[in-house]
Amino acid sequence: MSERYAARKVAKSQSPAKQGRPGATRTRLARWSKYVLLSAAVLAAVTPVYWMVTISLKSEVDQFASPPRWFAFTPTLAHYYDAFFTRSFAKYLTTSLTVAGLSTICAVTLGTLAAYGLARFKLRGKLDQRLSLWILSTRMFPPIVTAVPLFLMMRDLRLLNTITSLVIVYTALNLPFVVWMMRGFFRELPRELEEAAMVDGDSRLGALVRVILPLVTPGLAATAVFCLIVSWNEFLLALVLTQTDASMTLPVGIAGRVTQYEIKWGVMSAAGVVAMIPILAFAMAVQRYLVRGLSL
Amino acid sequence: MMRSLGKNRSHAATVRGRETALPYLLIAPTVAVLVALSIYPLIYAVRISLQTGSGEAARWSLANFTRLASDKFFIEALAHTFIYAVVALTFEFLLGLGLAVLLDRPLRGRSLFRSALLIPMMLPPVVVGVVWRLMLNPDFGAINGTLKGAGVNTESLTWTASPVLALASVIAVDIWQWTPFMFLVLLAGLQAIPQEPYEAAIVDGSTAWQTFRYVTLPLLKPAILIALLLRTMDLLRVFDQIFILTEGGPGFSTETVSLYIYRTAFRFSDFGYAAAMSFVLLLLTNIVSVGYIRLLQKQEAA
Amino acid sequence: MDVRFENVSKTFGKSAVVDQLNLASDDGELVVLLGPSGCGKTTTLRMLAGLEDATSGDIFIGDERVNDIPTQNRDIAMVFQNYALYPHMTIAQNIAYPLRVRKIARDEINRRVNRVAEMLEIGALLERRPRELSGGERQRVALARAIIREPRVYLMDEPLSNLDAKLRVQMRGELKRLQHDLGTTTIYVTHDQAEAMTLAHRVAVMRAGKLQQFDTPMNIYNRPANRFVAEFVGSPSMNFIEGRVDHSSYKFASDALTLDLDESHLARLSGRDRVTLGIRPEHIEVSTADHPGWLAATVYVTELMGNETFVFLRVGGEKIIARASAEFRAEFESRVFVKIQMERTDFFDSKTGLRI
Ligand SMILES: Nc1ncnc2c1ncn2[C@@H]1O[C@H](COP(=O)(O)OP(=O)(O)OP(=O)(O)O)[C@@H](O)[C@H]1O
Ligand SMILES: [Mg+2]
Repeated sequence: MSERYAARKVAKSQSPAKQGRPGATRTRLARWSKYVLLSAAVLAAVTPVYWMVTISLKSEVDQFASPPRWFAFTPTLAHYYDAFFTRSFAKYLTTSLTVAGLSTICAVTLGTLAAYGLARFKLRGKLDQRLSLWILSTRMFPPIVTAVPLFLMMRDLRLLNTITSLVIVYTALNLPFVVWMMRGFFRELPRELEEAAMVDGDSRLGALVRVILPLVTPGLAATAVFCLIVSWNEFLLALVLTQTDASMTLPVGIAGRVTQYEIKWGVMSAAGVVAMIPILAFAMAVQRYLVRGLSL
Repeated sequence: MMRSLGKNRSHAATVRGRETALPYLLIAPTVAVLVALSIYPLIYAVRISLQTGSGEAARWSLANFTRLASDKFFIEALAHTFIYAVVALTFEFLLGLGLAVLLDRPLRGRSLFRSALLIPMMLPPVVVGVVWRLMLNPDFGAINGTLKGAGVNTESLTWTASPVLALASVIAVDIWQWTPFMFLVLLAGLQAIPQEPYEAAIVDGSTAWQTFRYVTLPLLKPAILIALLLRTMDLLRVFDQIFILTEGGPGFSTETVSLYIYRTAFRFSDFGYAAAMSFVLLLLTNIVSVGYIRLLQKQEAA
Repeated sequence: MDVRFENVSKTFGKSAVVDQLNLASDDGELVVLLGPSGCGKTTTLRMLAGLEDATSGDIFIGDERVNDIPTQNRDIAMVFQNYALYPHMTIAQNIAYPLRVRKIARDEINRRVNRVAEMLEIGALLERRPRELSGGERQRVALARAIIREPRVYLMDEPLSNLDAKLRVQMRGELKRLQHDLGTTTIYVTHDQAEAMTLAHRVAVMRAGKLQQFDTPMNIYNRPANRFVAEFVGSPSMNFIEGRVDHSSYKFASDALTLDLDESHLARLSGRDRVTLGIRPEHIEVSTADHPGWLAATVYVTELMGNETFVFLRVGGEKIIARASAEFRAEFESRVFVKIQMERTDFFDSKTGLRI
């Protein structure tokens, strides 16, 4: 990447229109306005989040002060204590962690196997390609479309307000994504690697375990992190399927506080901050694969 | 050799058999899960949408579908969804493209800018709702507080609580959250463009604008299409942030199709009608997703 | 162990990529499959490896029919064209892999890895990863991974094609020596005829899925079975002249030139009219001076190769390439004289291309 830019820079400096003093001034001006614009954009992106963080740390007096106190306030952890020790947010947090973790494990395991099958075998009647597209198309259903029948199905199965229902539903939610991500990673590896392993005397599954999986580990990890993010963030299905303190996830718990009559802003913000932190960490971890994961 | 020969032969057939069955064994669990949790629910939804009444009294009828045409709330929800999608998509695209162009060339602090700009997109939608309720609160929100400090009369600026401003407010929040997505995909697209066309354009004497118009944009087209299609699908189904920010109100001024379906199903327990509406939504997003899948197929073939 | 293909065919969809192949190697023989790109060499090799199923026919290794035996139980070793080294393993682990999957004791593995590494002079590389190696080094590692075991057959699919010309010649020699020392049957695929000629005990020339000739390099070169083999083997290629045999006047006549035939030619050509005459460039003499009975020709271009000169000529309307000494000099379009050594000519059936 850096070579490419070096080349572009050279091309630029050789361009006659951009040489000489007036050009240089214009370039400097352009660079400054670039910085101004970008800084404004970053400010717009970050300020609201920062505001929530301050609210979570402010006493009620500071929260409602006018004009707003951006920096000058006495920080307190009272709201965090309130949310996670006197209220049920600790419970929601564990539910969220459990659901996200279990559903990710299921989706990644099933999806990776299917992806390998679809990436490496030519099935009769182009079945492999058709199946891949069909799997992808199930990803396109708007969640509300399946939310209504899923609610009724889970009600019939007496699975409403259980962690199980969420694990099952999130597994299905993430499966198509896992299949397509992993299929891509498998296809990037030359077929000869498994063939060599089999010629060397290994079975196909042995080759998968000893040769192929170690090579796709970074991709596998990234895929798993994406699943964690999706499960962690998911709101609508959780809202529909879980309504009890014992079964609801963090987003549903927060939403319950937001929409009720008397709102505890500090508690809500504290919970929001806690919900946000693992996601930002995860996002950092998958930076390299962000585009690939998000454009699927 | 001769000894092992017989052994090889005896289990050879089974290994072969397994080899041909293997891909099916690998794929089957995934297909089963998806059939049970994506396809079966759809069939279930078809069934309940074609029934009126419940339990013993259930009858087959098209009433749920005919009702759609005369349902003022539904038509309005459709209108809100379209306005929401069109306005948000336009702004997100233009802003995202602008930011991507700004960051395409090397710049001091580039990766820091990039990471910071991506933050809104990564947040859980519920947290976005919380963040903006705090920002937009008419009494102590940061926006009105700042405006007041600057001497603006904020009495009528009640944002999400105002029938006039509520839709604009939720759209603005969407733009805040999802412009980073456009930015990210378009930036990746820009960086994937090879150097040679730019050099050729400079040699041919084209201006910066001409280069952008005749070289960059056409080469960026695949990335633009992918980004637009994915965003459109998401915009048509929008639910989470609006639910937290306004629950569709005040009145029904921010109620989108997803929210109306939710209200119908889970407030009024009219599941059949909700299912009927969800098929309209499915149809709308399907038109977009077919385009998207075609595009992917073309890319895979290339 | 010897290898045998009996009436083996392979079709993808409708097209037959390998067509009724019959081929049998001796034990310890080095057989080269030679042919132009896409003629089915790799497919043949992959069928022997079990990576591709034969559509019909039988494949034997020794006395064992292997059609239904999965790759991992065929006891073969293969060197892939792109080497297919395992990128996440060190060189030592790569080489050890075939032993590891056979659950051989660790010290035994180490011992054999070291021995093979020494043999191929890659002992210093053992702790590196494949991407830190040059092409030639990777090639040796792939070879080491194949020879660490004593398989029944070695399969090699253009193992030298990714190397530069100098290294290729060097590795070619080393491979030949290695195969001789190991004495293991080897099937070697290439489209480089020089590689085939220098390495092989016997060469199998293929074209469009069909075996054209299976014989020693000498016989392939001197007694090509048909026009295709004659043209494919040898550089520059054999010259071909279409013409008629006049049995009464002992002449071979094309549109452009007429050549004298003798009794032995006529005996071979009895009963034929239209034939193709083939003559290798080294069997055409060129001179700037005229000799009785030589043909007049015009120089189109000359290519000095250092040790010899290729002379591209026009004789009448025919284009002919001759091989001359490095001292031969001639201007463009200058007039020279050539002699076709009639005792070295081959004749091919004009319709079927078969050698007469
Ligand atoms: N899996 C496949 N599906 C369809 N056609 C195939 C497949 N594999 C090979 N072919 C076709 O079979 C023919 C022979 O292929 P093969 O790889 O055996 O050629 P080759 O002689 O090794 O050529 P090269 O010298 O280029 O490696 C080619 O025309 C190829 O397109
Ligand atoms: Mg080949």
